Amino acid sequence: MSLQPQRDKRAGLADAVSLVRDGAMVALGGGLSARLPMAMVRELVRQGRRGLHLVGSAHSIDVDMLVAVGAVRRCEESYVGFEQDLGLAPSYRRAAQEGAIEVAESCCVTILAQLRAAEMGLPFLPVRGIRGSDIARLHPEYAEITCPFTGETLVAVPALRPDVALLHAPSGDRYGNLHLEQPYVLDERFASASAAVIATVDEIVSPEEIAVAGVTIPAHLVAAVVEAPFGAHPASSYPRYAYDRDHLGEYLSAAQGGPEDLEKYLATYVRGTEDGYREAVGAARLDALTTWSQSTSAWKEIFS
Amino acid sequence: MSFTLDEWFVVALARTIRPQETVFHGFGSPCAQVAMHVARRTHAPAMVLVEGAMYAINPDPPFIPPTSNDASLKRGAAYSMRFEEFFDAAIRGDVDRMFLSGGQIDAYGNTNVTAIGPAGRPKVKLGGGGGGCNLAATIGQLTVWTTRHRSGRTLVEACDFITDMGHRTPLGTRAELGYTGGGPQWLVTELGVFDFPAGSARLVQLFPDVSVDEIRAATGFPLEVAGDLRPVTPPSAAELAVVRSVDSLGVRKSEFSPRELARVFSHVGGQDCAC
Repeated sequence: MSLQPQRDKRAGLADAVSLVRDGAMVALGGGLSARLPMAMVRELVRQGRRGLHLVGSAHSIDVDMLVAVGAVRRCEESYVGFEQDLGLAPSYRRAAQEGAIEVAESCCVTILAQLRAAEMGLPFLPVRGIRGSDIARLHPEYAEITCPFTGETLVAVPALRPDVALLHAPSGDRYGNLHLEQPYVLDERFASASAAVIATVDEIVSPEEIAVAGVTIPAHLVAAVVEAPFGAHPASSYPRYAYDRDHLGEYLSAAQGGPEDLEKYLATYVRGTEDGYREAVGAARLDALTTWSQSTSAWKEIFS
Repeated sequence: MSFTLDEWFVVALARTIRPQETVFHGFGSPCAQVAMHVARRTHAPAMVLVEGAMYAINPDPPFIPPTSNDASLKRGAAYSMRFEEFFDAAIRGDVDRMFLSGGQIDAYGNTNVTAIGPAGRPKVKLGGGGGGCNLAATIGQLTVWTTRHRSGRTLVEACDFITDMGHRTPLGTRAELGYTGGGPQWLVTELGVFDFPAGSARLVQLFPDVSVDEIRAATGFPLEVAGDLRPVTPPSAAELAVVRSVDSLGVRKSEFSPRELARVFSHVGGQDCAC
């Protein structure tokens, strides 16, 4: 793709997400409870996407929701769950146990090496480790090689080139320049390894403002940018809002409860529009998530 | 002063950190996370603390939140590494210690965080290993921990699935597999502390309200016991104060069953004895 750093890439959510085809390899940005591309995940649910191959580092409600609605064929992340606090991912766990999804569980360093190979246009990179771990058995595509210089046995892992990366940033400009807060997790690597990037931002601001804040992901890598306020919710998007632990709990109860409870959650929050989503969550709750910077006690209160 | 098992456990983890080490914990690991801050504020002020999923260097978080990826955890940090900066450092051998846990742990310190039961059709699909299956090969030393030893299902004869490698897997020893790191050095459980003198776990310390027979009954591999078996050294007032101030939300408690949380100890007569 030729570089287009100064084309206006602004798009609506539905149009942007329609670039994701059934069966696509989709990289998910963010990690755990931070900067998950949830507005795009909800839109994939609305559009009834099927057969996705998800790639990511450590994920939670994004992967679990897509698995819950049957959108996923293959999962290739290093972790899917809700940490020690809220526990296992119910839909992911059920689908894995029933054999409804292919579990190609991976490892952070391995995925990083595979993305770097794609970024450099190389067919593979070698990594240490993996040998002796049963993770190798989940990946018949890995191969052992002998280093021509040292004679050491290493594991060759093939380039991973997602069809599309879905990234969320707190702010970006109309060209698709994105400013992120640390940790960037794999977002920068996903951006250059993937064939296309679709980004949501909580707010589209002027190119001058992004230049001052700092460009984390440059416009030439981004195909479409969508303004989606609270587009990471219930994940966090610092410096704007903290994650919504109560909402994660509500989703988990629904996903654990079975198809009827899950459908009720989806009908309340997902099946409509993003405007409807924010309305259902409630302005008061969303506002409360932005109070983290006022004081330590306000910040703690959000998580209690 | 009285204290609880969860507080003592965190201190026992903290004491596996040596003064100058660069130390990392994975996500979803509140006990290890709190332990690193305890070590840095007591016996290891010169350690380099790499905060889990934030990759933040030496932060002073106002509290430990219930998620590992939260901006509170980089407050006061010298800087944050990029994801790849941290993992590059770890695989080239610049990180001295990592904390690792597992749903299953065997005598060699192999851990399973992937699935219980047959891999193709697991009985319980666990969350997954994050960075472990590369890092376990290259990081200097590992402190392995579990808060579920008493269940009898955690310390097993053989893991159903080896996610992160210990001293020996069915494919060979660490040397044979070309690993550059030293492997598990300590295994800390809510019942006692093990070392790995010959690449295999050996009980060296036990909590004073637990017997060797109880530990044997809860352990799936043959229990090896050190000749100089001792009680776990009680926490100091300074260590307890740090546990309580750093983890004011008590997120460490999420790792323990109610039975373990009910275990209370006290320093008796100013002695370092817990009874």
